Order: sequence, then C-alpha cells, then structure tokens
Amino acid sequence: MGAATRIAGKDLKLRVRDRSAFIMGIVTPLALAYIFHLVFGGTFSEEALDLQVGLVDLDDTQVSQSLGEALSGLEAEGVLVLTDFDDTASAEASVEDGEIGAYILLNQGLGAAAIQGQPFTIEVVGDVDSQTTTQVTSSIASEFGSAIERSQLSVTTAIALGQPPPPDELAIWGEEAALRPPAFTFVDVSADTRQLDANTFFAAGMAVFFLFFTVQFGVVGILEEKQGGTLARLLAAPISHTSVVAGKAILSFALGLISMTVLIVATHYLMDAEWGPPLGVALLVVAGVLAATSIMGVIAATATSADGAANLGAIIAVILGMLGGTFFPIGQGNDFLARLSYLTPHAWFMRGLANISGGAEWTGVLPAVGALLLFTLVFGTVAWVLLQRKLTR
Amino acid sequence: MTAVLAAQGLIKSFGDLIAVNGVSFEIAEGETFGLLGPNGAGKTTSISMVAGLLEPDNGTVHVAGTQIRTNSTNGRSDIGLVPQEIAIYPDLTATENLRFFGRLYDMPGETLDKRVEEVLEVIGLSERQDDLVSEFSGGMQRRLNIGIGLLHRPRLLILDEPTVGVDPQSRNAILESVEDLSGEGIAVLYTTHYMEEAERLCDRVAIIDEGVIKAEGTRRELVSLVGEKDRIRVTVTGDLVEVARVASELPAVHEASPADSGVDVLANDASSVLPELLSRVAATGANVTGVAVSEPNLEAVFLHLTGKALRD
Repeated sequence: MGAATRIAGKDLKLRVRDRSAFIMGIVTPLALAYIFHLVFGGTFSEEALDLQVGLVDLDDTQVSQSLGEALSGLEAEGVLVLTDFDDTASAEASVEDGEIGAYILLNQGLGAAAIQGQPFTIEVVGDVDSQTTTQVTSSIASEFGSAIERSQLSVTTAIALGQPPPPDELAIWGEEAALRPPAFTFVDVSADTRQLDANTFFAAGMAVFFLFFTVQFGVVGILEEKQGGTLARLLAAPISHTSVVAGKAILSFALGLISMTVLIVATHYLMDAEWGPPLGVALLVVAGVLAATSIMGVIAATATSADGAANLGAIIAVILGMLGGTFFPIGQGNDFLARLSYLTPHAWFMRGLANISGGAEWTGVLPAVGALLLFTLVFGTVAWVLLQRKLTR
Repeated sequence: MTAVLAAQGLIKSFGDLIAVNGVSFEIAEGETFGLLGPNGAGKTTSISMVAGLLEPDNGTVHVAGTQIRTNSTNGRSDIGLVPQEIAIYPDLTATENLRFFGRLYDMPGETLDKRVEEVLEVIGLSERQDDLVSEFSGGMQRRLNIGIGLLHRPRLLILDEPTVGVDPQSRNAILESVEDLSGEGIAVLYTTHYMEEAERLCDRVAIIDEGVIKAEGTRRELVSLVGEKDRIRVTVTGDLVEVARVASELPAVHEASPADSGVDVLANDASSVLPELLSRVAATGANVTGVAVSEPNLEAVFLHLTGKALRD
C-alpha cells in the first residue's frame, strides 16, 4: 500500500501543477452549474411557480361552487393563489394588469346542465405571457369538466339499464354526482419522477457529470506512464503490479472526492443547493466516485493510448451523463427513458440525492448507494483484471 | 568472480516472431558487458527479460543469486534500469524525480537525502536540482535518466542505448559516468548499436543479431575469432625492402611489405610486437619517422559474423 500511495501522491502533485484536474473537476462544473442556475434556475423551482388564478362563478350553484372549494384547497396547500371575481370584466382587467395569470369562467346554467346531462362549457382565459399559469389552470378546468362528465355518465347508465329513478330523485342523483370532489389531489410522486429543486439539480448534475472526467486523470495515468517510458521504471522497481494499478485508482478516488466535496460546499453557499443530510450525501459521493473510477478504469484498460482513452472516456461520459439526466430530468414523462437511465450511475446518484435533498432521512440514499456499489463491483473487477494484464504484456 | 547476472537460454516470441532465441550470458561484479547489435536485433527484449519486465517463454534470469520473475519483486532492488526512452517526469524537479524513485526502493529518509545529493553531483545537475525537468536540455535529461537508475546503488545497472539522440558533449559525459561505474563494483549491462561505445566501455561484448548471440568475448577475442589482424604502418627513410624483410622475420608478424614511404606490417597483436619491431628496424639503419597502428574493430567483426553492416 505504501508504494501505491507514493505513486498516487506523485501523480497528485503532477495534477496540481498542470491544473488540468482543477479546471475539469472544479472550475468547469462550478461555472456551468452557476450559469445553468442563472439561466434556468427559475424554470422548475417551486418558488418560481407563482400561480395567480382567478375564478368567475356566474352560475353560483353547488356544482360550480365545488370548483371554488377545490381551488381553495389548492391555495391552502400553497400551490396557487386564488382570487374570486364577481364578473368577467373585472377578471379580464386583472389579467391585463398582470395581477393574475389566468381565470376560469363558469357561466350561468352550468349546474343545471350538469344535472340534466346536457352539454356545458367551462372557459379559461389566460395571459399570453403567463403560459405556465394558463396551462395549469386549463388542466384544472379540464379535470373538473371530466369529473362532471363521469357523473353524468353514471346517471345515464342507470336510466339505460331500465331503472329510471323518479324525476325528483333524478335531480338529487345528478346533483350529488356532480358534487363529488374532483380529483385534485397532490400525491408524493415516486422517486422515478421526483425532481430536485433547480439549484440542487444543476449543482448535482454538473458535479456528477464532470466527476467522470475528473477521475479519468487517475486511471488514464497508466497509459501516460507507458507513453512517457516511466511505466517500465515503475515495473522494474521492487513493487507489485497491483501497487501501480492501486496508485492510479487511489488518485482517481482522491480527485473525485476532492472535486465533489468542493462542489458540494461551493454550490451550497453560492447557489443555495440543498444536498441533504451530510451522512447520506457522503455515502452517495463515495459510492458515486467509486463507480465512476471503475467505469473509467475499464476505458483505460481497453484503450491503447492516453489520448484514445481520453477521447473514448469523454464520449462515454457525455452519453452516460445525458442518459443519466444530469442536464435535464430525463425520467419525466417517459417510462422507457426513465428505465434506461438506470443503466447509468448518474441516474442513481441523482435519484439518491432526490430522495434526501428535501430533508428526508439519510437512509434514503441506501438503494442508490447499493446500485452504485454494484456498478463498482462489476466494472471495478473488469478494470482490475484488464489493467493487471496490461502491465504484464 | 561470482556472476552478478546470469541469463540462461532466454527465449521470447511475439506471435510468429522469435525476438530472442536462446540468449545466455553472465556478468561479473565490476564488469561492463555490452550487447552490440543493430536495431531490432533483440537487445531491448533481452534486457526487458533481465529486468523482469517481460516473462521469458523459456530460460531463467538470476541477479545476485535471485531468480527474476515478472510476478515477483524478489531481486529487483539489485537492479537499476535506465530505459532507452527518457523515463522521468517533466513536471517534477530533478530532486523530486530522484526522491520519488528512491522511495519506491524503500530508501530511508536520511540515506535518500544523502544519496540524492551524491547522484546529483555525479550527473552534474546539483546546480539545477530544483528546476523542473521540462526546462532541461536533452543531454541533462539523459543524465538524470541514468542518475535515477544509479540512485539505490544497484548491483546490476542496465543501460539500454543511453546515448541515442544525445549531443556529442553530453554523450561523452555519459560515457565517462559509465566508465566510472566499474570502479564502484557495479556490473553493467550496456546495449548499443554504436561500435565505438562498445569498444570504449565494455570489458566483454556479445554480438547479437536476429535474436541470437553470434559471438561473445573481449574485443581482442572477438577479433581473433574472425582472424582479423592489427595493421602497423611504419614510416621510414632508408631501405624499405630490407626493413620489410627484417619485420617479417618476427614470429608475431603475419606479413610485412614495402608501401609508400614506409612498410605495412600485419600482426596478431600490435602492442606486443611493436617494441621489438621498432628495435629491429632501427638496427637496419633506417630512420623511423612515424608509426600508426590500426586495430580491426567490432564493425569488421560484426560484418564478418552477420554478413551485414552494424547500422543496417
């Protein structure tokens, strides 16, 4: 182990002197994360989702009022801010003034139409500059309309089955059905689609993306030693081949760990990134660095030159990074891609972080850590065997 | 004298190519042994097996009595390797390079510090010890390359073509350094394709070609082996025919004949025959104005043994 740490120490000194690892491991990811934070930071952060929604209830029946109650419930959960208007004109003016992003108009006769199974209309008027609010408001209105239609369908079905209720009961049936609360419930989404806040997402995404470039400086060093002629000297020394490989792996691990630690601290203070409980983050980082080192070790073992390994490593790192959702949350809305992304350590890292960044227990990272250690076991074994073989050729 | 290095029946193939085929040689303490051959003759493959970098397909290498294997570190502390390429770290200083490799040989702190100073002195880089190697000239880098091989006081130093691409001044400095090593009792294995280096440095030379040692011995033994003679040109004024006749009567002289303003004499060993020859020539009354001796060189031996020139 002494020889391995000496080799790693020497390499660390060389990397510090040529500044390459510093630039690739810290400066570039930090700069990119900060730029992304500035450009896209508000796109999907909860704080930025300022939904100002209006409601004009000209119908004023129990059916129409149920929408108002549902919207009030969402307001209570902090999802939106609801403003009631007595007429269309005042709501229109409020949209034009930018006070609200969109409003829902429930025309007179909606309740009656709903009960009698007649066609009805729900209007949504939105500000062209408030696309997100308009979209969300439309979705709410659409869901409300669907709920009324389902209620109408159940009444119609009962009639078609030859069991028409008495006329006075029919009105009550329709009214009760229409009064069922629409399905506006927010549930805790699965980890597959759970999303970090923007600051943490970009910080973590860039950190884990560039981690693969950073650890490459260690394991690819074997090829550089070979090209520079110093490998022969190392192998002629009274140290085992294992020490040479281990020395490079230690450097990869150390560079990865330093890079991740600096980025975590820096993004926490510069970008308010919320990484989560330190113990969970530490486990995740260690497992992530090990997995990255193992994969890049396989690349170093299969390449024939340092330049070739760097190029191949860059291609692999970009593909894995993109697929793993370090630039954008790839799992959102596409099951196939979401499943495919779990072939990458990046996705597991982001998943593990998403599980704990919201203040959950550190144990939330354990599934992701397990997956990352599995990557390490598989790729690390292959890399170890191939690199040892490379040294005896 | 005990052999520091004993290589026996080394064979190494790469696919269908037999790079080394049955190479055997020994080197004693304080002896400089040369492997002389053209590029691709099998020199580097041979020393790679000696240094434990390549596992022979057949044969053994023992250094100071310990068998050298690629999968074992036994005996490696007794070997100093100076690869053909400059095998140093350009972004470290000369001292840092030496200290790094010294630590790999488990040299303890104070011993290492002292030895680093000594080696820097020997290779003439004391003044530049804290400069980055990337700022050194090619010759200085070559000297440091050798210094690293010497650092841990190996019993066997392997020098693989250490003067390739070096300017004449640095080359001479390197050769002088190597000449000093035998005085320190180090066994030196020196590979080169420069005939004059082998002649100058090596106590014994093995001529290697196509993976096979064609002949081995001292320069004199190799020359005798192929029947080449020393040529002595005696420049005289007087009776050239009489001088030639007197010279040819000496037992060690193979042939003597008059030539332009002198006599050409072919002898087995010029240095031993010269005093008697000059004495006899003077006795004829001829006035000797000059003597030039040209010994047959290893180039001629190589040509004789392989049928091709050394630099082919």
